[in-house]
Amino acid sequence: MDLYIAAFGFGLVSLSVIAIAAVGFTMQFGITNVINLAYSSVMISSVYVAYAFNHAGVSIWLALIAGAIFGAVFSFLLNRVLYTPFQRKGTSLLGMVIVSLATSLMIQNVLLAIAGPYNVSYVQPSGGTIRLGAIVLTVVQVLVIGIAVVLMLAIHALLTFTRLGKAMRATAANPTLARNCGIPTSRVIDVVWLITGALCGIAGVVAGMNSDTFAVGNGPGYLITIIAAAVLGGAGQPYGAMLGAVLIGEMTELSAAAISADYKEVVAFAVLVLVMVLRPQGLLAKRGALAAAG
Amino acid sequence: MNYYVETILVYAGVDIIACLALNLQFGVSGIVNFSFIVFQAAGAYTAAVLSMPPDTASGMSFQHYVLGLQLPFPIPWLGGALVGGLLAIPVGVLLLRRLRSDYQAIALLVLSVIVNTVITNYRPLFNGAAGLSVIPPPLSERIDPYTATYQYLYVGITFVCCLLVLFVANRIVNSPYGRTLRAMREHELAASALGKNLVALKLTVFVVGGIIAGLSGAILVGFISYWAPITWLYPETIVLFAAIIVGGRGNNLGAILGGLLVPLGFEEITRFIPTGFGPPGLGPAIQWVAIGLLIIGFLWFRPKGVLPEPRRVFNEAGIEESPFMEVRAS
Amino acid sequence: MLTAREVHRHFEGMRAVDGVSIDVLPGRITGLIGPNGAGKSTFLAVLAGTLPASSGNIVFEAEVITALPAYKRARRGLVRTFQLPSEFAQLTVLENLLVAAPGNRGESLLGALLGKRYWLPDERRLVERARRLLNRFGMSAKESDYAGTLSGGQKRIVEIMRALMLRPRVLLLDEPMAGVHPSIVDEIATYLESLRDEGLTILMVEHELHMVERLCDPVIVMAQGKIIGQGPMTMLRRQREIVDAYLVG
Repeated sequence: MDLYIAAFGFGLVSLSVIAIAAVGFTMQFGITNVINLAYSSVMISSVYVAYAFNHAGVSIWLALIAGAIFGAVFSFLLNRVLYTPFQRKGTSLLGMVIVSLATSLMIQNVLLAIAGPYNVSYVQPSGGTIRLGAIVLTVVQVLVIGIAVVLMLAIHALLTFTRLGKAMRATAANPTLARNCGIPTSRVIDVVWLITGALCGIAGVVAGMNSDTFAVGNGPGYLITIIAAAVLGGAGQPYGAMLGAVLIGEMTELSAAAISADYKEVVAFAVLVLVMVLRPQGLLAKRGALAAAG
Repeated sequence: MNYYVETILVYAGVDIIACLALNLQFGVSGIVNFSFIVFQAAGAYTAAVLSMPPDTASGMSFQHYVLGLQLPFPIPWLGGALVGGLLAIPVGVLLLRRLRSDYQAIALLVLSVIVNTVITNYRPLFNGAAGLSVIPPPLSERIDPYTATYQYLYVGITFVCCLLVLFVANRIVNSPYGRTLRAMREHELAASALGKNLVALKLTVFVVGGIIAGLSGAILVGFISYWAPITWLYPETIVLFAAIIVGGRGNNLGAILGGLLVPLGFEEITRFIPTGFGPPGLGPAIQWVAIGLLIIGFLWFRPKGVLPEPRRVFNEAGIEESPFMEVRAS
Repeated sequence: MLTAREVHRHFEGMRAVDGVSIDVLPGRITGLIGPNGAGKSTFLAVLAGTLPASSGNIVFEAEVITALPAYKRARRGLVRTFQLPSEFAQLTVLENLLVAAPGNRGESLLGALLGKRYWLPDERRLVERARRLLNRFGMSAKESDYAGTLSGGQKRIVEIMRALMLRPRVLLLDEPMAGVHPSIVDEIATYLESLRDEGLTILMVEHELHMVERLCDPVIVMAQGKIIGQGPMTMLRRQREIVDAYLVG
């Protein structure tokens, strides 16, 4: 039993990392209509930007900020240089998926050439552990949970209380109508890529902080978990992604305790398939956005 | 024939067959099958374990696998094709049934990664991460695989398979069935409003593609005698997509052209980088950046590819003029 | 002919179609009008099976078809067109029509594999039929053009011809004049009249009231998912609340 309680504790950390990543991913899709398969490549690149700072002697917290800025700027450029031009050209959704996957491979392999295939880790203070019954977490892990909570509240506040958030929601619902109502949609979309890119960068760095070691090859694994969480909650829905992250995070950790850590992603995938088959619009979908045509 | 030329020819044949299959799914029908390589792998594993001796046989104890039936050629190849097609049924039923096409693509991508993970970690089936090796080449009990005769034979059989697959692909693409597939690609809702059963259409083309993919895997594994998860990672599918996009979506000749140029070029590109130049990951990085740029560049500048899908013109008698007459760019 | 009884269609709490019952009379063009968001297009989609009904019943030629998928309804002769252009852009005009034609032996995988000799007789017969339609609708010159290169009005005509290839018993048209150059609107109207005169039953959603007045009898008015009136257009014009619904909507 204690094994499972401990796993539940690790699940809290996992789900925090997934939530940060999945909210960014799902907002990109929901607001700008791009399924950005390069998301995980940007994420792992941010991990290594933070790693470079960290190993140059910078504290992990400052490196985290560097990773966030890198993720934001890189995502912004990715959209400006690649995705928006293709969208303006009238490229189909499927075409966009192919473009983003090709981009993902390029980024990942350039990073591989620069950073090498080795397993590495951050230099961070161990800071002792915190116990709560059978749950044992490091101080860093508790801080990761804290970061996720703060970010989720910030996203909630942004979407609910600010004019920018309302403009984002309007753009997501109907970009043409939003533009006609005087919302500068292309500026809104720029900001969305900056914000979601920052989330992507932060998610990467905290994922690196939460694992003993990481390598460039971790990217695809991140992507599957993120997609599973986003689709589970209803693609394009930030709150859905949070819910999806909670479920996926706990399920993967508990299954790792029950079966084997090798199959973490398989569990995520099984959930994904079940959702896609039984409730393709996701748990929290407002409209039948995911339902098939015909 | 030296071994290098033989290798190039067999690889080219396998790539052409794979591209013809993927063209049916992606180029003609608009199904973005990001797990294409899984079907090739299914064919390869099946052909391997059908032709290998049981893993309890002497000399095989270093690996674990199922079956080991030691069946004679061509049964392992037929088995590989069959399993490729059978695998397409559950995948198609689960993923193509209700999902919007971009989610189908993502689900198939995820499937590709996951199946690889499972096969890597689960050893009893196909020996896990280490993979299968010492797979007997077809007909090796009759002809010594290290002779020139055998090389010619293998290249010849591969070539015959290419022709056979091209024959099937041409019949499909140039038929009313192929026309319906293209209509589905262009506008799914309108096709279903005109009485087309999208699920059945997608499933049939998925199964046909799976069968051909399985065959390509069987041919490949008989030649290289080795098959492991590392040989069928999901990016391999992207190379084939690049080939179709470059060659020309929906055009079988384009698929052949792409299959000749892109995957082979991809393998060969590193030959031109001087050894010892740059960091160790530079070769693969250049390969992948080249593939990515090919895809993005073609989608931007020439989305119809080098050999675009031919426009189909009917003569006075109501007979379609041969599309081969009109391979020119439109 | 085509009957709907208490048809509802709800989207997550929103009642797009809220208990609609109609009888589409044979050999007439029935108009379906109403303000934006009245649920007209949704109702049409439910009739055609593009969207499932949340509740209610649809009967077509004495058969309950509520549970049939869209493609089966089309095969039975209940065929729809779309509000947005839905041509098969990378197929030629003639191919657009041929795709729609049922009864081609080469349309199954097996038939395709058996080769041209097996299906060519069907193909030639259908090409001939398609060419007759093209001729009638003045589109023969465009036969080998990609449908995607046509003008908005020509695409509409292709979509109508495509539907006719199925030999429909009832045609459901979703704003067949939308996005069409005014000079072609009249042409399309004339085609629709001649189809009606040949006995084809049509239900059409339309915004252009003078077109409705010219073509449609009876006319059904929807607002907020419900029917608020029906009858000949001249009669509807006199009803206060209907005019209000239009102006307010």
